[in-house]
Amino acid sequence: MSRTSVLALRLAGPLQSWGASSRFTRRTTEPAPTKSGVIGLLAAAAGIERGDDGRLAPLAALRFAVRMDQPGTRIRDFHTAHHGVTGASMPLSERFYLADAVFVAAVEGDHDLLLALRDALRAPVYPPYLGRRSCPPAEPVDLGLYEDTRLEDVLASVPWQASAWYRRQRRTPQALTVLRETAADESAAAADVQRDQPVTFDAAGRRHALRTVVTDSVSTPIPSGGGGPQDAHDPFAALEALENESA
Amino acid sequence: MFLSRFRVNTARPGARRLMSSPQAMHAAVMSSFPHILPSDSPAPDAPRVLWRLDQRARAEVLLYVVSPDRPDLTHLVEQAGWPAVAGPENPGWQTRPYAPLLDRLATGERWAFRLTANPVHTIRRKEGEPRKLTAHLTPVHQMGWLLDEERQQRCGFRVCEKPADRRLLPEGTTHQKRPHPGDRYELAVRDTRSLSFDKSRTAGGRQGKPVTVVIVTFEGRLEVTDAGLLRRTLTQGIGRARAYGCGLLTLAPLPPSDQHTA
Repeated sequence: MSRTSVLALRLAGPLQSWGASSRFTRRTTEPAPTKSGVIGLLAAAAGIERGDDGRLAPLAALRFAVRMDQPGTRIRDFHTAHHGVTGASMPLSERFYLADAVFVAAVEGDHDLLLALRDALRAPVYPPYLGRRSCPPAEPVDLGLYEDTRLEDVLASVPWQASAWYRRQRRTPQALTVLRETAADESAAAADVQRDQPVTFDAAGRRHALRTVVTDSVSTPIPSGGGGPQDAHDPFAALEALENESA
Repeated sequence: MFLSRFRVNTARPGARRLMSSPQAMHAAVMSSFPHILPSDSPAPDAPRVLWRLDQRARAEVLLYVVSPDRPDLTHLVEQAGWPAVAGPENPGWQTRPYAPLLDRLATGERWAFRLTANPVHTIRRKEGEPRKLTAHLTPVHQMGWLLDEERQQRCGFRVCEKPADRRLLPEGTTHQKRPHPGDRYELAVRDTRSLSFDKSRTAGGRQGKPVTVVIVTFEGRLEVTDAGLLRRTLTQGIGRARAYGCGLLTLAPLPPSDQHTA
């Protein structure tokens, strides 16, 4: 058995949309990133084509968790569109998005596989997006690879990623919700079940199996800075430092 | 050389008059030196009086002055300062000798910097037309002005490059296929202001056209490439409109956490 590592991702952007149970023209979003969405993002970065289920399987087997650093607000888009060539009306649809949300997602699994995925994120074959092609990430997605550790420990130690304005509004340490899959040695009795385990992303018919979701909460270290005054440039500081040195 | 800082009391009419006209502010700064007239122009290669207004918060405006002589800003305190705060210990402004810093500058050091400047170039819109001085209006061009190889060499510093893992975009081109620095450099354009103010009336009583200057505040990190040239830059300024609050470059130590990431 090779080493187990954890790859952490920062999912932040003006809009995100993570559907798990959408049907027909009402395209809903879950309140947090879905495993199928995040595995799809990683598979796209690694250049795995749709329908290549053999290469997808090891990715889908990774254990997944997500931490809600800044939940964001849900917005509804009443979507009208016309065909680009024929001009025919496309079906009216409702699309739901999360605005201004920040999440930390993490996958746990074989070290070599995660190392390859981390490199793929830095030079992706297909660019990453947050659940829907029209939702690009606002910041680099890669948050680092943590070696020889567990999913729970990484999500408890990565600093709070929320925007500065959001942190300013909530100075006190916040307990952050974590949605994670059960570990191998854990009973699934207390877990919810969601149809969100990717089986195939084949364009002819995507299929998803069920997976378990346990809701936890963690309190994480608050990063220094960000909330303070923006202007830090003080030309006198250099002079004072010199005077103190010579005194 | 001396570096001085004066906090402007923005609620006072005198302060508003000074802040609305770089012409008036320049005259006020120059009257802090008893033996020079505001209209005196310095010798081309001598240290000169430079000043800059920094807006820290909505009501916190600081005036920085770099000058060859120790300034007496009493008249500014009276017109646009906080006279009640001023006492024998605290005249209402701070002045420190600048020489210790200037003498200690060494090649290879890294500093955080701030610069308010007037980035301009000369262009000719059609063949045969005389070249005209024109302001750079977009951040890409404004940064390009400061990042210009020759200018950096002349000023004795180089703007630091970001480590690759902190860049969002590599360098590229603009949509018009012009070179674009991307976010390759530790450089930001904080503030672009277009100032328009009247010069004093001419002898004939005629009011000339107002003066317009586009001024930009740059912030970032630099590495000293030539201490002698940088010393000159710090005391003589960069670029045009130095009488109108442009060209003053100030240095501040980098936060300790960033000092060895370079």
